[in-house]
Amino acid sequence: MKNLRRGSQIIFLVFFLILFVQTEYKGEDELGMPVRLFLDFDPLIALSSLLASHAVRAVFLFSLVTVVLTVILGRFFCGWVCPLGTLNTAVSFLRMRRKPKHPDDGNFPRLRKIKYFILAFILTGALFGWNAAGFLDPISLTIRSLAIGYNPAVNGLVRSILDFAYMTNIPGISPGADTLLSFLTGTLLAFEQPVFRQMITIAFLFSVILGLNFLAPRFWCRYLCPLGALLGVIGTKQMFARVDVDKGKCVSCHTCNRTCQGDATPFPPGSWASRECLVCFNCSDVCPVDAISIHPTLQSTGDGNVDLQRRWLITTAAAAAFSVPIVRLGEHNKRPHPDLIRPPGAINEKKFLQRCVKCGECMKVCLTNGLQPTLAQAGLEGLWTPMLVPRLGYCEYNCNLCSQVCPTGAIEKLTLEEKQAVRIGLALFDKNRCIPWAMGRNCGVCEEHCPAPGKAIKFFDVEAVNKNGDPFIIKRPEVDPGLCIGCGICENKCPIIDIPGIRVTSVNESRAEYMLYM
Amino acid sequence: MMATRRTFFKVLGAGAAWALSPATKLGSMPTMPDGNIDFAVVRGPDAAAAVKKAVSMLGGMEKFIDKGDVVFVKPNISWDRKPEQAATTNPIVVETVVSLVLAAGAKKVIVADNTCNDARRSYKRSGIREAAEKAGAEVPYMEARKFIKKDLGGEVLKQWEVYREAEDADKIINLPVAKHHGLSNVTLSMKNLMGLIGGRRDLLHQKLPECIVDLTAYFKPDLTILDAVRILKANGPQGSTLKDVVRMDTIAASTDPVKIDAFGISLFTDAGFDNDLALFPHISLAEKKGLGTSDFGGAGYQEIKLG
Repeated sequence: MKNLRRGSQIIFLVFFLILFVQTEYKGEDELGMPVRLFLDFDPLIALSSLLASHAVRAVFLFSLVTVVLTVILGRFFCGWVCPLGTLNTAVSFLRMRRKPKHPDDGNFPRLRKIKYFILAFILTGALFGWNAAGFLDPISLTIRSLAIGYNPAVNGLVRSILDFAYMTNIPGISPGADTLLSFLTGTLLAFEQPVFRQMITIAFLFSVILGLNFLAPRFWCRYLCPLGALLGVIGTKQMFARVDVDKGKCVSCHTCNRTCQGDATPFPPGSWASRECLVCFNCSDVCPVDAISIHPTLQSTGDGNVDLQRRWLITTAAAAAFSVPIVRLGEHNKRPHPDLIRPPGAINEKKFLQRCVKCGECMKVCLTNGLQPTLAQAGLEGLWTPMLVPRLGYCEYNCNLCSQVCPTGAIEKLTLEEKQAVRIGLALFDKNRCIPWAMGRNCGVCEEHCPAPGKAIKFFDVEAVNKNGDPFIIKRPEVDPGLCIGCGICENKCPIIDIPGIRVTSVNESRAEYMLYM
Repeated sequence: MMATRRTFFKVLGAGAAWALSPATKLGSMPTMPDGNIDFAVVRGPDAAAAVKKAVSMLGGMEKFIDKGDVVFVKPNISWDRKPEQAATTNPIVVETVVSLVLAAGAKKVIVADNTCNDARRSYKRSGIREAAEKAGAEVPYMEARKFIKKDLGGEVLKQWEVYREAEDADKIINLPVAKHHGLSNVTLSMKNLMGLIGGRRDLLHQKLPECIVDLTAYFKPDLTILDAVRILKANGPQGSTLKDVVRMDTIAASTDPVKIDAFGISLFTDAGFDNDLALFPHISLAEKKGLGTSDFGGAGYQEIKLG
């Protein structure tokens, strides 16, 4: 059974990675792949979004499949499916090769309750409109960490090695590297080197989660994972995979506890904790005297579930409830942050924050790498939600990929036609920096690139005076706020390489309460 | 006899609108034998036939391509726009040119452009990737590693990053599309060469005419075929609504980029430029540099109508 479980873990991890790699433009306007499938089947995402936004979406039904299977099988998802669980298993495996110092080496049953408190905190927060699930939900966390942290790093590393090989101009090596890199670009690697703000931070946090496996096997899954906690609660009474220890046969060798992936304490007999069991089958596989069987039964086979202590649960819930208004305090609530340009299709900011789980799918799929994780622009509540940074990448006029991958409807699915009518911000010239205004030279790159029908940036032939006082004719660009959709290509392409002569800010976005230009 | 004809063609070239009028039966005009001209204009609804005819009027593709050549074909693929929007070179023109080049014995044809919008989307939506590959060309994306700094020896562009495969190619064929451009009024063959360079190209706009003349002098395309099947008359260079697109059903081919550009300008007579070459400083700059002549209707001009 152990090998069957490992096979399942590998298959699902590979599947997850395939979907991850496919979360990129692959030649069609519509992504042919259900790239966000894992998020769709995630009950924590569904539940927190539902609680926070008070809106039921059809896509949440997928997660009911996971719920039903968990009722029957327990936390099989953690043991057999979850990609982060598999990564944790893999890292734990490295640790478990060393010799244990005592029978329960690496087991800290008292830490098990942490994840339930985290879950309680998240769900109570959600009830009051703060959707914090995505920070710690394993699917969302993994996609975000890979997309923003690891993927750019891997891309950069492979590219720099192959670029170096290409630059050597050695026959055989140089063309080989060229061919390989051309092949990898757009297949396994990103089409262009992705660059993300907070890349190191987000990669580091994920590395810490993986590193925790050296403290205890699957530390994250055992003690921290809120999805694991939720599935544990749902699957407490699972009928098809109950661990039973035969008291007569058991020789108290602790081998089962030492190999238990969930710290579910099969030993001593009767102390097995169903909510902690990841259905990994290690215990029954390793028992030297075959005292352990995993079988379907309606009878209780253990009473080792975590005592959550009601007062601590209530305290946690209260803390969450009180923290909601506090995390919302911030300068962004006094005035909208000018840099907070949301992707087209993003719903009203308040509702957006209730739905967005910071999974990073939209940032991964963004063609131009313009969607970046926020830091403080949307407050703590909106940390790591997407915003367009036009200097890094603009919003491609004919693209709506970000709205296709959003799992919670924070970014609504729009047709291309609808998307092209959405204003995400407004461009305005900084005439102290704009070349034709400040330097008396023609430029017009912004006008050239403006995709809005009729052009939101127009030229006017104006008579100006040069430094010697001589008149000359110059084309001076002006923004038509009625046509500007805020896509940011003007700012992106502005030749002033640091602070551009034209800047897009969030003012005038379609979803704004107040319009500058009426 | 010869002098009269020259005069006649000068008059002819000056007014594209006149040339387009149904009363003009250009097809029935006496023609010079193929191969003795250096500026061919073919009008007709079948773009592939027009390209073939124009090339044969110049003496056939064999005249420009040697057997075993690596040929770099440079259409305009700059924008994520459909062929109907006339922001990118007509894919039929690209396809026809690639097959002519291969038929003339070229070893390899590379079709590529340094795009403004996302390269994958532009290559796809313009229809150029599919058309060029169908005809047998390689259609690579211009990757950053393949731009190498070169001495261009220009007036303004001293040193710049040049696409290696264009640099290494034996021949360059330039396939611009005729369209409006906010800054330079029109974009034609010389400006199209900006797609062969990398770096911060947006800096070039401050001295655009000088820069594109420098590029033309550096790359010296062996043949230029102007796609004016559809032209974009306003809101260029990427266009948006089909209202700005006019069907011209015209192909012009020449080895002289200045003639091509001067002719291209004449297509926009009703766009308010009034054929005034003074509005297009790159023409006179290029002439001064000896890259060609703006008198496209002079000796060596021939225009016919197909279908």
